[in-house]
Amino acid sequence: MISSIHTINILLPIFYFATLVVYFYDFLKGEVKLVNVKRVFLFITLFLHLVYIVMRTIAFDHPPITNVFEIFTILAITISFSYFLVELVSDIRGTGPFIIILPLIFQLISSLFIQDLTEVKEVLRSNLLGIHVISALLGYSGFTISAVYGFLYLVLYKDIKLNKFGLIFNRLPNLEVLERLSLYSAIIGFIALTIAIIIGVIWLPVAFPKFSYLDPKLIGTLLVWLLYAIGITSKVLGNWRGKRLVTLSIAGFMVAILSTILSNFLAQSFHSFY
Amino acid sequence: MNLIAISINHRTAPVELREAVYLKEDEIRPFINLAKENEIKEGLILSTCNRTEIFGIPNNNEASHEKFQKLLLNFKAAQNISEHNFQKFISRDAIRHLFSVATGIDSLLIGDNQVFKQVKDSFQVAEETNFAGYIMHRIFDAAIRTGKRAISETAISEGAVTISYAAVQLTEKIFSNLSKKSALVIGTGETGEIAAKHLSEKGIGSLAVTNRTQEKAEKLAEKLNAKVIPFDDFKESIYKFDIIISATAAPDILVRKDDVKTALKKRSNNPMILMDIAVPRDIDPATKEIDYVFYHDLDSLNIIVDQNLAKRKSEIPKVEKIIEEEIDNFWEWYNSLQAAPAIKDLRDFFEDIRNEEVEKNKNKFSSEDQEKLDIVTKRIINKILHHPTIELRKADENSNSVDAPTKIGIIRDLFGINSKKKSEKD
Repeated sequence: MISSIHTINILLPIFYFATLVVYFYDFLKGEVKLVNVKRVFLFITLFLHLVYIVMRTIAFDHPPITNVFEIFTILAITISFSYFLVELVSDIRGTGPFIIILPLIFQLISSLFIQDLTEVKEVLRSNLLGIHVISALLGYSGFTISAVYGFLYLVLYKDIKLNKFGLIFNRLPNLEVLERLSLYSAIIGFIALTIAIIIGVIWLPVAFPKFSYLDPKLIGTLLVWLLYAIGITSKVLGNWRGKRLVTLSIAGFMVAILSTILSNFLAQSFHSFY
Repeated sequence: MNLIAISINHRTAPVELREAVYLKEDEIRPFINLAKENEIKEGLILSTCNRTEIFGIPNNNEASHEKFQKLLLNFKAAQNISEHNFQKFISRDAIRHLFSVATGIDSLLIGDNQVFKQVKDSFQVAEETNFAGYIMHRIFDAAIRTGKRAISETAISEGAVTISYAAVQLTEKIFSNLSKKSALVIGTGETGEIAAKHLSEKGIGSLAVTNRTQEKAEKLAEKLNAKVIPFDDFKESIYKFDIIISATAAPDILVRKDDVKTALKKRSNNPMILMDIAVPRDIDPATKEIDYVFYHDLDSLNIIVDQNLAKRKSEIPKVEKIIEEEIDNFWEWYNSLQAAPAIKDLRDFFEDIRNEEVEKNKNKFSSEDQEKLDIVTKRIINKILHHPTIELRKADENSNSVDAPTKIGIIRDLFGINSKKKSEKD
């Protein structure tokens, strides 16, 4: 089993790359015939990825959520699965390549550095941790997709304003749809992150008696949560829309990435498990 | 095949010459009668503002392009039109030309699908007037199939290629659902009216019009079920609209940047689309600097139109490939209508039936009678086929007439004998 895990570990980035190529080709050519082909590619990749995660969980006796490289592979599958759902439900074409590139990057990093860990710190063997990590990852996937749609909104907005009617103009869905997709993914991400925070706060004092509320990860996450809270509230109240909203979503995503990098690699935090 | 075609079109003649030979709807039937009297047995007349074309299969060898031209020029009493205003085609080239017209690649506006409808209408007239016989009918079917394939298999008719459609295409890249949006059309001249119609066809939620002469606005509003806003104070209500299209003949700017700024504030930055399709412009171009305002004028809409036209042009080779395929198909069918192979196929067909029945039943006969059975059945088949064979050979001798192919085609259809090549393909 270990050797097949290693093989799939190498195959996964290749599969994501192949899927990205098909999506990108479709974006350039816009041929109707490719609509189903690219979905099949994505589906096969997702299936292989799921098999990989189940195999890892069994072989190494823990779900791959205990360090950053394990988490990256989960992040890759949650982002691509969320996008798969978006595509099935909304039938929106043309945004695929911009999303699929993210799971490719996450999976590539994961595949390069992931190790066959069987020893896991006792503190990480908790059911609450499972829910905490999964909801946090769902939250971040939501924010990632929201940021991508936000970014596409800004690009299309600029293109229309500057009379640039190229590929972006021809292939992307309209501005209202992009704004809506960005908002909905942000809301889903926000709800998931809220759950992660609540569980974290309940579980923290039990698991780490010495933790501090001034921990960089905690502050970073709270900042991200606040940004999205402000954005969503002002949208609901009808004050903010379009450009300002998606800019906020992109900013939230940046802070989220930054806080993850900082707390995992640079600062001393109880969240640094690598 | 002696299919002859002449065409006077946007490439060969200026508009006044095209107008001079244009056949109005009530002229086409009398013209067809005239053609029939002049020994054109089957054919097709297509006349639009951009082209007038005559396709025909004459009864004899003497008919020529010149005869077709004379027929048309005499009928319309048109002058100043000379030989070089006509394109001439014969046989396979004539069919290729008809297919090119039907697919829109011969049109002034490439991929224009209006011409496909006009071609189909002209087929209908030919059929109603008994001007389309067996062969012509088959050509029509092939032309319609070619036109449909061009639309579905290539992008020859895709994208907006007129200003007003480009405006709608642009609107659809900003708003997702026009039925929830409101629009105001300023100026109800021809351009404004077309724009208002397009919006109404696209299912705009609410439509309002305004015009310096109130009556004109009211007239259009009634037609399109729209509201009328008094011209003098339309600026006060622009904040109510998501889309504003302006097409007046006013010499000065009507809507200033500050007007739009105020309006946007009133609608709490809900995006606005301003389409200025007037010359000179009605809306201050500086409004494009305002966030959430999408200002577009003729220049920017022309960019879309030019791009789409270029894209359509690049699809022409694909369409030409489809045309060649369809011509080949047609030609294969047409060749199967020659007498010699048709007679052989017919005889083989009967012989196969005879053989099968003889084999099935010969055990019911004594061995001496079996030989007789063979001879007798062969004799019956020969007698049945004697007359048709003679008739087909005779018709074929007059090789230019459509009689022989028509007869052969009908026989093939009746007995279900397709050419060997075709049945192998199937």
